[in-house]
Amino acid sequence: MAHSSRERTLWTIGLVAILAFALVPVLWLVSLSLKTPATVGDGSFVPKDVTLDNYTALFEGGFDSPLLRPLINSMLIAMIATVIAVTLASFTAYAIARLDFPGKSLVLGGALAIAMFPPISVVGPLFDMWRALGLYDTYPGLIIPYLTFALPLAIYTLVAFFREIPWELEQAAQVDGATPYQAFRKVILPLAAPGVFTAAILVFIFAWNDFVFAITLTSSDASRTVPAALAFFQGESQFTAPTGSIAAAAVLVTVPIIVFVLIFQRRIVAGLTSGAVKG
Amino acid sequence: MLCIAACAGGIAACGDDDGDGGGVTLSWFIFNEPSGAPQEVARDCSQQSGGRYRIEFEYLPAEADQQREQLVRRLGAEDDSIDLIGMDVVWTGEFANAGWIRPVPDATRVAVSENVFDSVLETARFENELYAVPIWSNTQLLWYRKDRVDEVPRTWDDMIEQAEEIGPAEGRIQVQGNRYEGLVVWANQMIESAGTSVVSGPEEVLLERGPTERALAVMGRLSRSPAAAPNIATSTEDTARLGFEGGDSTFMINYPFVYPSAKDNAPEVFEQIAAAKFPRVDPDRESAPPIGGINIGVSSFSDHPDEAFEAAECLVGADNQLRVAELGGLPPVRSDVYDRPEIDAIYPDFAEIIRESIRDAAPRPSQSPAYQDLSLAIQRALSPTTDIDPGDPGRTYDELRDKVEQAVKREGLL
Amino acid sequence: MSTAPARTPAARKAGRAPRSDRTRDERRLGLLLCAPAVVAMLLVTAYPIIYAVVLSVQQIDLRFPEEGGFVGFDNYVSVLSSELWWQGVFNTVLITVISVSIELVLGMILALVMHRAIFGRGLIRTAVLIPYGIVTVVAAFAWFFAFDPGSGFVNNLPLVADDKAWFGERFSSFAVIIMAEVWKTTPFMALLLLAGLATIDEGLYEAAKVDGASAWQRFTRITLPLLKPALLVALLFRTLDAFRVFDSIFVMTGGSQDTESVSILGYNQLISRLNLGLGSAVSVLIFLMVLVIAVMFVRFLGAAVPAGQGAKR
Repeated sequence: MAHSSRERTLWTIGLVAILAFALVPVLWLVSLSLKTPATVGDGSFVPKDVTLDNYTALFEGGFDSPLLRPLINSMLIAMIATVIAVTLASFTAYAIARLDFPGKSLVLGGALAIAMFPPISVVGPLFDMWRALGLYDTYPGLIIPYLTFALPLAIYTLVAFFREIPWELEQAAQVDGATPYQAFRKVILPLAAPGVFTAAILVFIFAWNDFVFAITLTSSDASRTVPAALAFFQGESQFTAPTGSIAAAAVLVTVPIIVFVLIFQRRIVAGLTSGAVKG
Repeated sequence: MLCIAACAGGIAACGDDDGDGGGVTLSWFIFNEPSGAPQEVARDCSQQSGGRYRIEFEYLPAEADQQREQLVRRLGAEDDSIDLIGMDVVWTGEFANAGWIRPVPDATRVAVSENVFDSVLETARFENELYAVPIWSNTQLLWYRKDRVDEVPRTWDDMIEQAEEIGPAEGRIQVQGNRYEGLVVWANQMIESAGTSVVSGPEEVLLERGPTERALAVMGRLSRSPAAAPNIATSTEDTARLGFEGGDSTFMINYPFVYPSAKDNAPEVFEQIAAAKFPRVDPDRESAPPIGGINIGVSSFSDHPDEAFEAAECLVGADNQLRVAELGGLPPVRSDVYDRPEIDAIYPDFAEIIRESIRDAAPRPSQSPAYQDLSLAIQRALSPTTDIDPGDPGRTYDELRDKVEQAVKREGLL
Repeated sequence: MSTAPARTPAARKAGRAPRSDRTRDERRLGLLLCAPAVVAMLLVTAYPIIYAVVLSVQQIDLRFPEEGGFVGFDNYVSVLSSELWWQGVFNTVLITVISVSIELVLGMILALVMHRAIFGRGLIRTAVLIPYGIVTVVAAFAWFFAFDPGSGFVNNLPLVADDKAWFGERFSSFAVIIMAEVWKTTPFMALLLLAGLATIDEGLYEAAKVDGASAWQRFTRITLPLLKPALLVALLFRTLDAFRVFDSIFVMTGGSQDTESVSILGYNQLISRLNLGLGSAVSVLIFLMVLVIAVMFVRFLGAAVPAGQGAKR
């Protein structure tokens, strides 16, 4: 499709504006991460004295380095929580969108209520529960609360999308000769994909970013995730904020997110093939 | 075997173990002091104990509030994996009243109090009993630039006048005015320097009107002065340091960590830096500098209190105090350590000022179990300090008194 | 459409109509599919939430273990009669309304761009989502550091006064807090709206163009109505989250300059003062307020419990 050069110019301006909006604070973080302790407070956007020390310090000590174990923990815990949450939410959303059974509003309302309760009140009793059950400082100890608090959002998102799927297409495909499995795979799945991948991204980022549960329910690198690990970073003295190393850590842990999103963003809009709905 | 290896990695699940020739493992919960000083002295004491105990570290987050949060959760759950606690000086009353730390046994008390400044011991007492063992102290000095100051100001008013004369390009004063504990430190020391105290007993507010209003007026005057740093409403020890190193400041009230920092980060400023005692509020009354530092508490739920107190006694020995000062620049709590020649290398030209400052220091109301309430009340009443009218501090005084009274009774929202 | 017979509400209530095997299977399947999620949610939250409610009617302070006991609604009265509480509510509502409104508009624009960009789509979509993926506390800190008069670059920008104390006054503090919140969570809106846009059939637009509809008409008559489900989920959850804003305020002003939110109040009572009774009461009240908001959304905007087959679009 041909686009006039005016169109291209407008789009370029628009894209640059959006990129600036999204990335200027990130570039600021990158800048802070490259500054020496002497210049971190000099107020300039571009570092005058560039150093990679903040980054190398993060991986000093091999496996015991300040960032490596937490990074691995974060990735694994977020991925496991995402897979389980999206699966469970899909089942539930499918049931709510397609089937008729009592208690639907209860499930939806209850899920919402759970998502609304301030986490800070929940972590106290949860701490006690987990210590009693031996889940303190373990992967399941974090995955389970993440599931609980991400499920409502995942369920609501998937219900909203599943409602919009024209389920009759599945039957139409079967009438045309497809097996139930083929119908599901070729017709329904692509229509469900945008919702599922959206829910996956949202759950992943929720688990990735959480601080309250992570700092309370972990006590060592066995399960501590990155946001909690950042709280342990020290500057040169008790009073000095470790600005450079925290900025470096924040930049580094954004890389997996970028990868994750790059993979999934195409999926979100892979949705409809043009023939599916018209029939 | 596995447990020892795991304990070496600091996993909380193993509280203690008897697998090392009959000795016990003591878990010391403390923030990871960047200089590594606690780890050094802990290693020495473990060796000296002849196998009776070994000190392992369980690190807490970097910020004091988060350290407390972690500790309180565990102590509230009667966790027996905590033996030694690196306590901020203001937690004593709270932890003691809640029954989370043990009083120091008499024999140990004598040993760890010898030659220790009374102001330091005050921070470790609750209901006049010693509940913690002071290991290192801290205080704030008036740091100034030799090249811009002819006569070192003795009072806050003098300092403000001098700074205003020098002008905003080079004459800023750096303090801590953010809504956090640092503001409570500033306010408390101003009030103490003016001759009164915040509380006179666990539930009695003192805050005599005259002196308090004088103190508040000075705070207001500084905050509204052109010599105040533009970010005074959010200034902390770290931003104050950064501001001073940036070159536009002549005066700074801060802890001694700024000295090695300037040496590393701002050599031109470092050449001009000098120290004096915390300024006075009243010209004819000695100022009351702040006191900080760390006290070692022994958890009430520890399975090895005897070994823990033994370890604490070793950790705060005079030689170890010197080691800690050498490694981390952290001021000793015993006044006789200041007589040692090595101290001058650590604090060139201002060792004596530090000693005097700690000697004359006035603690925050740490004996009160409701300290956090008091702290919140003071923060709320005084922040932002630019709201304090130097010509009419009565309004702020009333609010302060109101909030503090609410705090000692622990009523209402704060 | 599934072939289960539609049942009128009356018939269902009366229970007189015989239940066919298929309906029973459907019910069982439905409950079965929901069960894992429900169990996962209840397992973790049932005890803590009940415990929090029980605490809220007691006088209990961890630092004073010898006190304690049932005090009825005293804690609630304490909170509701406090000026601090109502100011916190006002601040929270202010931040919520302004930031969610801005995010809605910006999110919509971003979603449209991400959907329709004629080049650089992958780049734009990834870039837009990065703010959402940055660790929240660090993002708040980055904004704080940027606006700090000493160490930040904002005051060095051409149009800004050199020593403007952004966090020294109430409304400039709010401005920065809201900017930080909007920057961080607009991607959430944009993502949900993008997914919603992706499900709209292109054919509808083409048909409308043929009929002579303008771009604006296409937007308001086709896009918006079809976006409703995604829009409502986005608005609902975003509002619920905005209402519980904590990190940005905590990092930037600590609640000073009267910028405290209800979550910060809750934190102060629960964690700083260890006053579990008062803190739990604050939490329960926050929960109730959020509940009211959710109910309003559901009631007035029809973010309805989807009824499955037979539901109107």
